[in-house]
Amino acid sequence: MAEELKLNLNLKRIKKVLKADVIQGKGLLSTKISGVYASDLVSDVLAYSKSGSVLLTGLCTKQVAISAYLSLFKAIIFIRGKRPNKEILEFAEEKNMIILLTENDMFEACVKIANADSNSISKFVKLIESSEKKNTSVHKFHIDGQDFSNSGLLSTQIKSILQNIGYEPYLIKRVSISAYEGEMNVVMHAKEANLTLNANEKEIQIIINDRGKGIPDIEQAMQAGYSTATEDQRALGFGSGMGLPNIKKNSDELKITSEVGKGTKVEMKFYVIQE
Amino acid sequence: MQKEKCAHTWQMVNVTPCFIITEKCYHCGKISTYFSTGHNPPMEEYREGEHYWNFMESAQSIHFDLKCTKCNMLVKFDELLGVKMCTGCDENCEANTLLKKLEPERTWVYIAFGCLPVNEKKQLSKEKISILEEYFNQRRKSSKSRIKVISHEIVSNIEDCYAEVIKDVDMLSLTLPEK
Amino acid sequence: MKLQEIIDKVGLKKLTNVEVRNVQGVFISDMLSDVMTNAKSGNLWLTVQTHKNTVSAANLINLAAIVVTHGKEVPQETIDLANRFYVIILGSDLSTYELVSKLIGIGLKP
Repeated sequence: MAEELKLNLNLKRIKKVLKADVIQGKGLLSTKISGVYASDLVSDVLAYSKSGSVLLTGLCTKQVAISAYLSLFKAIIFIRGKRPNKEILEFAEEKNMIILLTENDMFEACVKIANADSNSISKFVKLIESSEKKNTSVHKFHIDGQDFSNSGLLSTQIKSILQNIGYEPYLIKRVSISAYEGEMNVVMHAKEANLTLNANEKEIQIIINDRGKGIPDIEQAMQAGYSTATEDQRALGFGSGMGLPNIKKNSDELKITSEVGKGTKVEMKFYVIQE
Repeated sequence: MQKEKCAHTWQMVNVTPCFIITEKCYHCGKISTYFSTGHNPPMEEYREGEHYWNFMESAQSIHFDLKCTKCNMLVKFDELLGVKMCTGCDENCEANTLLKKLEPERTWVYIAFGCLPVNEKKQLSKEKISILEEYFNQRRKSSKSRIKVISHEIVSNIEDCYAEVIKDVDMLSLTLPEK
Repeated sequence: MKLQEIIDKVGLKKLTNVEVRNVQGVFISDMLSDVMTNAKSGNLWLTVQTHKNTVSAANLINLAAIVVTHGKEVPQETIDLANRFYVIILGSDLSTYELVSKLIGIGLKP
């Protein structure tokens, strides 16, 4: 069974990303919520959900409202433009529940909420430390080698952090591609690594420090097409050998230091051009 | 001048959520099914002509019509209660024979059924059944497999047919699932 | 995206036979009537429903695969029916919402 997901969101933000209408409980929107549960099956809502969550459903009946209330949900979001009847609204009002309506379908709604909530994706990548002072944002992550099922998630996470800060889209794209290549290198070749993201108004820096077999010939590894990916990795579509050259192409500064048998340190920088 | 025949492209329209209500008459043993848009079917036994109907099941479903996006022709499907997938539950049933024949080419048999009792309520015409088949095949976007829609008249005994009906039962049950 | 790629990257369990298929989009609902109305051919269908009539709905609309979330156990009769009709059923221990987070992570979009 999946562990509980800690959301870092309130309903105001959810309302915004879903372009939702609040038809009940307008005054309660700053309520923090603890999770998102997406289902149309009343019995499962009762069985699996956690209190303090928000329910996303396409089933617009009073039984849903009752089960949401019994499961201690804070709010119900009806998807795809479904409108609850008077009976449901009265029940919600009496029980202090919040009701929102959105035109999104269930998948779109989940995606939008997940993207707005950086924690829902970071649950799958281990965020060790995070600090945000004025004009700088530092995040430290841990990457497990050989964890193909979660590969790529950290880059997604970095992308959403940068988007939240508000960098220019093309810069974010370059950083995300480079972070992805760096992350994949760790997943394919190393045992584990720490990744530090350092973002301020002048530059974005990513440092990946891995524990692994190291690179004997960095110059050779920088050539397009050079790959040490195993057959298994190739079958998954990885190991095209474009990793390091692709980082070089997308970054403004790249520094690689490596010690065979110990590990590799990749430092990349991206300049923020002020208008 | 002859009017050109439209190669219809069907789209589902007038989609209305509703409930398929199943009732049984314990005097004659017949089963009655019909659509209801209300949430509360009559729970008490009631009389209708020679029948005394008793509530058995209420399942969520939808009612819809089909419309051609090119010529705007609207085909109403009031007589259609739902579709179900033939699983070959009865060796002697013609639907099973058809499924056995079509299975190797991945053509699946779906039964379009109307309201029960069959001879007391208006049933779907052959034309409408072929339009329904056309619609589902257009939507599949696949050349490798197809859907064959047949009338429930082909089924040897519709009341004893175990085909898999596309409907939602127990959605509203507040009972916890068994662990 | 290829179904096999999604299975590998997200870590889905194969509950039935699996064949090569392309996935186009994701559909989430626990209502079969909803699938019949709104799902699209090639969709990956996320649900907590495990009744054997899910096979009937998935086959009618030509969905790429069913993914049963929340680690719910799928009855053998559902699996047998799915195998006969080439309907693919996969399983995940994550909740529907958590699985969506992972699917975004590997690049699936609405």
